[in-house]
Amino acid sequence: MSINKIAATLTQTEIDLAQYCLAFARQAGAQKVRITLSKSLMNLIGLLNGEVDKTAHALDRSLQLQLFVEGRYGAFSTNKLEKEGLEEFIREAIDTVKMLQEDSCRDLPAPERVAKDARTGRELGLYDPAYDTLTAEQRREMALASCHWPCGAIAEEGEYSDSVFDTLTIDSQGLYARHTETSFEIGYETTVEDAQGNHFSSYWWDATPLLKDLQWKDCAEIAYKRALAQVGVQDTTGGKYTVVVDTECASTLLTPVLNALGGFALQQKNSFLLESLGKQLFPEQLTILDLPRTAGETGCRLFDSEGVATREMPIIDKGVVKTYFLNTYIASKMGMAPTVEDATRVKVLPVGGYKTLEELLEATGDCILVTGFNGGNSNPVTGNFSYGIEGFLVRGGKRVHPVRELLITGNFLQLWNNLVATADDARPCLSKLIPSLAFANVDISA
Amino acid sequence: MINPKEYYFNQFQVDTPVLERLVQEALASGGSYCDLFFENTTYGSLLLRDGAVTSGGNHIDYGVGVRVLSGEKTGYAYSESTAWEDMLACARAASQIASAPVDVSPYGTRNPSRGAPNPAADRYPILQSWRGAPLSAFLPFLQKLEQAVRQRDTRIVKVMANLAFQVTDVLMFNSARELKWDTRPMGSVSVTAVFRQNGQSENKSTSRSFRQGAEMLTDALIEEIAAELAHGIDDRFAASRPQGGCMSVVMGAGASGILLHEAMGHAFEADFNRKGTSIFADKMGMQICPRGIQIIDDGTLAGNRGALNFDDEGIPGQKTYMVEDGVLTSYLHDRISAAHYGVRPTGNGRRESFRYAPIPRMRATYMESGSAKATDLIAEVSKGVFVDEFSNGQVQIGEGDFTFYVKSGYLIENGRLTRPVKDINIIGNGPEALAHIRGVADDLIVDSGAWTCGKEQSVPVSCGIPTVLIDGLTVGGE
Repeated sequence: MSINKIAATLTQTEIDLAQYCLAFARQAGAQKVRITLSKSLMNLIGLLNGEVDKTAHALDRSLQLQLFVEGRYGAFSTNKLEKEGLEEFIREAIDTVKMLQEDSCRDLPAPERVAKDARTGRELGLYDPAYDTLTAEQRREMALASCHWPCGAIAEEGEYSDSVFDTLTIDSQGLYARHTETSFEIGYETTVEDAQGNHFSSYWWDATPLLKDLQWKDCAEIAYKRALAQVGVQDTTGGKYTVVVDTECASTLLTPVLNALGGFALQQKNSFLLESLGKQLFPEQLTILDLPRTAGETGCRLFDSEGVATREMPIIDKGVVKTYFLNTYIASKMGMAPTVEDATRVKVLPVGGYKTLEELLEATGDCILVTGFNGGNSNPVTGNFSYGIEGFLVRGGKRVHPVRELLITGNFLQLWNNLVATADDARPCLSKLIPSLAFANVDISA
Repeated sequence: MINPKEYYFNQFQVDTPVLERLVQEALASGGSYCDLFFENTTYGSLLLRDGAVTSGGNHIDYGVGVRVLSGEKTGYAYSESTAWEDMLACARAASQIASAPVDVSPYGTRNPSRGAPNPAADRYPILQSWRGAPLSAFLPFLQKLEQAVRQRDTRIVKVMANLAFQVTDVLMFNSARELKWDTRPMGSVSVTAVFRQNGQSENKSTSRSFRQGAEMLTDALIEEIAAELAHGIDDRFAASRPQGGCMSVVMGAGASGILLHEAMGHAFEADFNRKGTSIFADKMGMQICPRGIQIIDDGTLAGNRGALNFDDEGIPGQKTYMVEDGVLTSYLHDRISAAHYGVRPTGNGRRESFRYAPIPRMRATYMESGSAKATDLIAEVSKGVFVDEFSNGQVQIGEGDFTFYVKSGYLIENGRLTRPVKDINIIGNGPEALAHIRGVADDLIVDSGAWTCGKEQSVPVSCGIPTVLIDGLTVGGE
């Protein structure tokens, strides 16, 4: 028997077990219950310098319970899914919840808000049946064929993996929402050495829900070329620069903005976007959408972790903040209408009509091109940030030489208000569709 | 009374014949070594928010990981069930790494632990079990903590306090028939407060984490956390960013140990060196920093977040000198890299859980005290910054470039601390930073915060350092 032969998605027996736990929890004293049953199966082949270095197989199952008992709330989980043990686990969980303090804001989402169109889990077309027929030998052949060794590098590390993830969320008000998706991923990190013995590394990767779309053949070669491009680093001076941030790493500059619109940060007053709803805080050319229901696209979901139906909506429309992300609990605490728990498939609309990064660089002329961030952080209350960067000095739209050990420092509101233009080059494998971004007047320390 | 071996065997419903048979099955199609890692972890958490403990829960994680080595290649699989047929499926999946049968000759033949049946050391005795008490027993601690924090400063508008704890039972067996077991506790308390003054907000977080039982929840801990949280808030409101650029940096004692973790520790992890990617791959035996400096990775500090009786390959926890008198003397090894280099494993084979194969990881990483005085080091700097509060750090192994984020510190002008600074990133290059250490003070502190290292897997670590003066780091600023 091979682990590959184990059912990759939830079986009816496992679903029945989740339903049984829900009923048992209610009988045992919980007034309301939400259960999330998850299962995932993963195969991985690691490569080192053209040879298989590692294989891994993993099957995970977990059952999460959220219990609402006598005006109190608790969250519990276990991966021991034997029925008898679960009964005892649930009884003890309910006893534990009774000992916590009351919180009248805790509740399940209203039934009219939850998803009703996610019954099979495959509605979004994110499950690839090819997964079921993929053999260990095919995986190994594809992984080995993706290598670019020997290539002149001192080390080439690669990883091919595929997985299937299946989750079912049910609650005591009739919610039944399922999401199933496959994922195929390839990634390489290559290290090269210059004549002085200095090392330079870079990476490239691709990921897709459907195997036929995986760009695996040239991944290792791109990683190698990106590493080679870093040879010849030269110092540059600090000061005010126009900065172009490559789409590969642009999410570093948007994620803190989305976090600041999250209900948890807002309710705890730990956000630089307090009382921002409806206000024009960003430039008029900036529009950011959430497109969670696009069939076939990585990361799309029909419902959030509460089972609430996602919907397409603007997050920032022509510079105006259009939504907070408020789950049932936080919305109740803030006295506001709930939305969804988080952004799902973020898309920044292109600005300026530039298609590619090269077009954007040409239009920008002189700048620092940022191809990677190295550490750094931001202050959630003030929006101030400081990040290490690496990339290239660009003159007249052309890369002159690589740069590193630089820092960019600023404030997110000021930065986004200095947005000049974008490309239209976000790759579909990115969780957030953010194109390459050009900002003016950015402080760089060197 | 049940004996320890029976306790762990009962936990995982196995016995010696089952373990031996499973190893035999895993090596049936080849492979030079196999190990089994059984884990049963129970977690608990309580969250205080808006003045009440209104959220909490328990979590169970249980399973076994099977690893087969064929030379330096790894086959790994795990099961969340210890039923024989599930473990057997795992063993066969892991065995796919091996193509032909070979003699069962385990790595680590120089392993000093061979034959030792169970821990000789007990670095984390549990005086008051987390498992033995209901969650409600810990509510008063969080409530008292919140009161203590609020009493320190009237500008506080929000307090969020979290208590998280876990107890992990592990049982390890390998193809050398070494059997090890351990029970590892961990308790962590973290608090975030938001302060408001004249329409401006500031936040501050602090944490404490120990391999201890519930006996760690004392009034003294409450006072320590509350005092640290309130300390320096006036300066935080007054702080601004310095003018950025290349300058001298005085790293305050304690949490500044993140410098060692990022700038050196990762580059000393032997897997990066075995693969040739680390900037230190060809520097063993060479002087890499000034004479007199010792840099250590230590699993023997009792109750410390990085303490281990055994690592996750069954190698005894130990104290490893990576740098002695300025010379690179040891990498941090798991069994694979130790065999590659022909040295003893250093007890650094760690994993996040049974879901992961072990790899070389740090434990508590620190530099030994020097002879200078902290005030003298500051006095030596004409223009620079003093930093003592951090959040995350990062390193690029190949290039050796590291960064860490400074939440607060002070500008140094003409040998004196002048105005407060905040929210700046510092960047440097590991080998260059080591070479540019100008002075080391006599005030080593190993920090007790809830540090977690995220190299492929998350593992608890700690770090420490005496006050250190380094020249030539780049400081972010206006």
